[in-house]
Amino acid sequence: MGLDLTVNCLGLPFQNPVLVASGTFGYGDEYYEVMPFSELGGLVTKTITAARREGNPPPRIVETDSGMLNSIGLANVGLRAFLEEKLPWIAAHAGQARVVVNVAGFSVEEFIEVGTAVGGAKGVDALEVNLGCPNVRAGYIHFGADELSVRQVVAGILKNVRLPLIAKLSPNVTDIGALAEAAVDAGADGLSLINTLPGMKIDPLKRRPVISMGFGGLSGPAIRPVGVACVYKVYQQMQRMEAPVPIVGIGGIASGRDALEYILAGASLVQVGTANFLHPRAAANVLQEIAAFCESEGVAKITDLVGLAHER
Amino acid sequence: MKPVFKWVRVLQISGLAERTYILRFEEPESAAVIQPGQFCMISPLPGSSNVFLPRPFSYYRVISRSVIEILFRTFGRATRWMANLAPGDEIGVFGPLGNTFNLAPGPGNAILVGGGIGIPPIVMLAERLSALGRLKRLDLVYGESTASRVIYLAPVLPASVRCHLTTEDGSAGQRGLVTAAVESILKECRDPLAVYTCGPKSMMGALSRILDPEQVTLFETSCEENMACGMGICQGCVIPVRTGGDSVRYLRCCAEGPVFNGFEVQWA
Ligand SMILES: Cc1cc2nc3c(=O)[nH]c(=O)nc-3n(C[C@H](O)[C@H](O)[C@H](O)COP(=O)(O)OP(=O)(O)OC[C@H]3O[C@@H](n4cnc5c(N)ncnc54)[C@H](O)[C@@H]3O)c2cc1C
Ligand SMILES: Cc1cc2nc3c(=O)[nH]c(=O)nc-3n(C[C@H](O)[C@H](O)[C@H](O)COP(=O)(O)O)c2cc1C
Ligand code: FES
Repeated sequence: MGLDLTVNCLGLPFQNPVLVASGTFGYGDEYYEVMPFSELGGLVTKTITAARREGNPPPRIVETDSGMLNSIGLANVGLRAFLEEKLPWIAAHAGQARVVVNVAGFSVEEFIEVGTAVGGAKGVDALEVNLGCPNVRAGYIHFGADELSVRQVVAGILKNVRLPLIAKLSPNVTDIGALAEAAVDAGADGLSLINTLPGMKIDPLKRRPVISMGFGGLSGPAIRPVGVACVYKVYQQMQRMEAPVPIVGIGGIASGRDALEYILAGASLVQVGTANFLHPRAAANVLQEIAAFCESEGVAKITDLVGLAHER
Repeated sequence: MKPVFKWVRVLQISGLAERTYILRFEEPESAAVIQPGQFCMISPLPGSSNVFLPRPFSYYRVISRSVIEILFRTFGRATRWMANLAPGDEIGVFGPLGNTFNLAPGPGNAILVGGGIGIPPIVMLAERLSALGRLKRLDLVYGESTASRVIYLAPVLPASVRCHLTTEDGSAGQRGLVTAAVESILKECRDPLAVYTCGPKSMMGALSRILDPEQVTLFETSCEENMACGMGICQGCVIPVRTGGDSVRYLRCCAEGPVFNGFEVQWA
């Protein structure tokens, strides 16, 4: 018997558990020649908002120890151009990979507008809702920071959409477990953990933050222990709920072992983000290393490892 | 050619001037197609350095069918790691990336301006323009802060290139900034003109203010911004550019650039 890397979750078949994270793989086309996402479990596209966004002034990114800061400002082509110009290409090139479209808004209404439009389009397998987006009407606090906003966004989109909805949470909160529960309560079919952590780098010579907006989102191996802990905690929380939902582990995954940490903590799927910038085939390498680990450890099914790190 | 990621071995690394080195490696696929202005992303083997993100470097010279040279100066973590490489060490090279300088500036003259470590793509461009042989006159202005940083370019530049060296402290060549040298060339020639430049933002911005768009029919600047992916994905490397009218758009230095119309870039 060969190794079984398939995962059935969110009501969808995934050919393997490795996806690429939103904002780190564009719309799938740029890297396609080097890294066709059709080899992977799925592609999560860059966050789409209702209108096209030019994004923040430069500098937008900088290296940090074992990671990077970014403040792109959700630059994206906008809903209409995405549906007309990007999505058809993605759908035609996906093969067996799942197409997950990441959506956001600066108000609950915008979230619902974008989520509904994308949810009704052909070629989309699931929605990932970026709750790390700032809420303009609530003093720019991100939607994922309070239970009411999480409920409004998730339930609002699901009223109009039949596709599986994954709520992507930011770790920048007091109790990620409570927010995860709120999302699931409102109907979310899955949870993506984690988005970036807030960070800052200051240039002592210029006496100013390096990133133009001051703060940036920290990603890369530096945040992996935070992500693994969030997944572990939320997985525990799920076990106490009546209808637990699957978790997608994200944050600093650059190798098979990194991915296995998340899977053992309770993730059914994982996403590779910043590591794509270091090597365009990073996600394929992660997948290959997971397979090699399973083979050398005598694991027959990848799903057998999900949540094994918890005491039994 | 689509960019390729390769682990390659360092053939040679040597010091050329203060904090300035040449790195030589073999990569036949790229060597055959590289155009002036293009760049590659260089990265360490995982675990061999604390450098995290790959870094962009212009191609400096292609010295045979397969051997490529990068010219770099040390500033921080990545360039210091590179300066300590030894022949045989492995590095990641992802390229060729970015657009290229316009190689058909039309008849007339061209002035190439390299400021400090902006000189590498300017040298490759000088070689190429001179080989194409369509220009009446080709001037290259090279500016450094001081003599100890000056790279001796005579052996690599074609004989037809008129080279002008400036240093800010006057310790080599003409004393002052490149802009003064460019202004005196401008006075000598009245023909339509192409100006190409790569260097510090302040220098390229100053040039954009002294050049007259009536006389300078082509003004190309190779720009710089922090990068991560190097191929248009992360949107991290944008340059503010005024395209048509006054509206500013953020164009990706790695994808729409690094070469932009210097009259359109918003320099300050
Ligand atoms: C398209 C492109 C082509 C490039 N080509 C070359 C090239 O051919 N040769 C080369 O040496 N460099 C080139 N660079 C610049 C090079 O990528 C940076 O110097 C390098 O990334 C610095 O990394 P670091 O970790 O050593 O320094 P960092 O830790 O990133 O920087 C340390 C400090 O030095 C400053 N600094 C960094 N680079 C420069 C610079 N070039 N000029 C002035 N101050 C700087 C930073 O602002 C910071 O304060 C190019 C950049 C781009 C975008
Ligand atoms: C440059 C960059 C852009 C990103 N853009 C988005 C985005 O548009 N939407 C989103 O939900 N997450 C975005 N992220 C977050 C990633 O999807 C991921 O959650 C985070 O980077 C942690 O994973 P990593 O450490 O593997 O990168 C972005 C991350 C980076 C580095
Ligand atoms: S470096 Fe990623 S878009 Fe330019």
